[in-house]
Amino acid sequence: MSGRILVVEDDERIRSSMRLALEGEGYEVRDAASAEEGLDLFAEAPTDVALIDLMLPGMDGFECTRALRRSSAVPIIIVTARSDTHDVVAGLEAGADDYVTKPFVAKELAARIRALLRRARPADEQPGALTFGDLQLLPEQGVLRRLDGEEVHCTRTEFRLLCELAASPNKVLSREQLLDRVWGYDYFGDGRLVDVHIRRLRTKVEADPSVPQHILTVRGMGYKLVP
Amino acid sequence: MKLGIGARITAVFGLGALLLSILMGGLSYFTIRHFLLAGRESAAQHQAFANAAVVRSSLEAGNTGYVALLVSIDAGTDAHSVLYRQSKAYASSLVVNASTLPHTLRQDVLSGTPETQTFRTPSGTAEIVIGLPIPSVHAAYFDVFDLSDLDHTLSVLGLTLFGAGVVTTLLGVALGRFASRRLLQPLADVTQAAGAIAGGHLETRLDADAADPDLQGLTNSFNTMVDQLQERIEREGRFNSDVSHELRSPLTTLAASVEVLEADRDKMPPRSQRALQLLSDDLRRFERMVGELLEISRADAGSVDVFLEEVNVAELVRRSVETGFAHMDRHSNPTPPTVQVDPEVAAWRVGVDKRRFERVMVNLLENADHYGGGATNVSVRPGPGHLVEVTVDDAGPGIEPAERSRVFERFYRGSASGRRGAGRGTGLGLALVTEHMRVMSGSVRVDVSPEGGARFVLVLPVIPRDDDPEPAGAPETEVLR
Repeated sequence: MSGRILVVEDDERIRSSMRLALEGEGYEVRDAASAEEGLDLFAEAPTDVALIDLMLPGMDGFECTRALRRSSAVPIIIVTARSDTHDVVAGLEAGADDYVTKPFVAKELAARIRALLRRARPADEQPGALTFGDLQLLPEQGVLRRLDGEEVHCTRTEFRLLCELAASPNKVLSREQLLDRVWGYDYFGDGRLVDVHIRRLRTKVEADPSVPQHILTVRGMGYKLVP
Repeated sequence: MKLGIGARITAVFGLGALLLSILMGGLSYFTIRHFLLAGRESAAQHQAFANAAVVRSSLEAGNTGYVALLVSIDAGTDAHSVLYRQSKAYASSLVVNASTLPHTLRQDVLSGTPETQTFRTPSGTAEIVIGLPIPSVHAAYFDVFDLSDLDHTLSVLGLTLFGAGVVTTLLGVALGRFASRRLLQPLADVTQAAGAIAGGHLETRLDADAADPDLQGLTNSFNTMVDQLQERIEREGRFNSDVSHELRSPLTTLAASVEVLEADRDKMPPRSQRALQLLSDDLRRFERMVGELLEISRADAGSVDVFLEEVNVAELVRRSVETGFAHMDRHSNPTPPTVQVDPEVAAWRVGVDKRRFERVMVNLLENADHYGGGATNVSVRPGPGHLVEVTVDDAGPGIEPAERSRVFERFYRGSASGRRGAGRGTGLGLALVTEHMRVMSGSVRVDVSPEGGARFVLVLPVIPRDDDPEPAGAPETEVLR
């Protein structure tokens, strides 16, 4: 499987080794030493996945993620040397889809990229169109829109998460199930990925995200979608 | 036992009030008693003299109806008379007679000395007796007056004063408590603030404006101390994350480069392949060491981040053993341990950080592998109270009781080092197990397995189920639906 990857990393040696390792896995890699340069490269040519280091000189990784997110739904993986809750959650909240912690194994990183590039589900398992609240989800077209026709923009990961929940309305899906189906993680995936994405999704689909009506938390169990 | 300052202040106040009330009460009692008794004594003496005069004139007139005389004297009063004449005693009543009179008084009066004395009759009533010799007729006259009303008054007075003393003492104790509370309040504030700071609320400060002027110095130095502490902790946290970043950057480069080399392993000569194997093995070990050192330094700095999730304990253990066994740094044991789940705990849930728990399992499995011939059995079983226990047994010789607590120390390499495990692991594995369990409100201990090997026991609190079966008589709709 091939894909075009943009690596934003200020350490030249890490950048080179990442390029070597990812090219070895069959990806096409472009790299940038700063967030500003990365944003320029992103504007120049199409990118399938962006890898952004959080600690960057000048504009930092969080800001770079937010800037990319403003204009694009491209999958973003943040790379952090710190696995503190704060950095990971802040990065995810800035709009990242996933994260890896340094030092990472290139195969693991490649697996993360593959998971993000993969189609949501095989076409025959695709849930049908679903209407909840004043929203309409059209999985086939990859569209979420309001009943008045206005499209709601969400990232690929948010959309896939919503499709998974919509595939079995009113049924509780555990964090592990969602991690497996959306991110391709096993049982030990980071549940914070699910929590932050659910939170982000709620800001888009709920009238009042603090009192959700459709995407509900089931304590100790997981999440469910109520049309 | 050492008394606290508050208890001591209270005790001093209570003791002071007690002494004061004993002094005041005692003084009042004895003064009043003295005056009342003196009054009664002089009245009694007056009457006794008058009566003695009557007796004398009657005897001088040759009257020998002594008892009738005495009865006529006593008539209308509550006094009793006793008359001695020619070594014989005559009494006006059965209540008081010659034998009830105090012996010394009787001797003195019979030998010619008038005397007054208070005494108690064998039946317990208080009496005052005035003894007067009447030498002209060779007789002695004793007049005995009942003091029981005075006695009663004095006992009521005594009781009242005692009650007042008790109340005063209690008031003293209460005042002492109040005063000590007031006095110790600033200290209680400091204690509370220090507790909050120790609990991680570093922004806690004492209110410098509200402080008592006498305690301004304490408040200021406390706040300064906390400022400095907070700054140090933050500096340490920054240092840790900087170190983390600095160490991880070259490790990232190394790891990625080694992987590129490994992809081309088949094209290398055997010597290079062997060198690459050494390089990649030790790189992985180095990565773990850095990761574990950072983990433990974060734990020391109190800046651990825990993501607790509610999960089924049996599934957690099965998955951890499965993934842990696949990921561990394995040397001797080719077969994974069996996992036994007690049916009672099959549905129990625990709040854990799954990835921490997996690391705990990896560390225990590796420890068993390095020092105990590999893990043989893992079991999940109910513990005492609301606890669940996860045991990991190995096939080794077990751990000496003396060594059991020491194996959890950092870099501890006990008697088992130098044997199988030398040079393996980071020396932090079991210390981190303790740390991981602690942040998940659990604990770990080491025991002996039924086969004589080491048994590590993880203990976790169980989350009470809120979907417990309805009590008997609950609606049956649940079943029908």
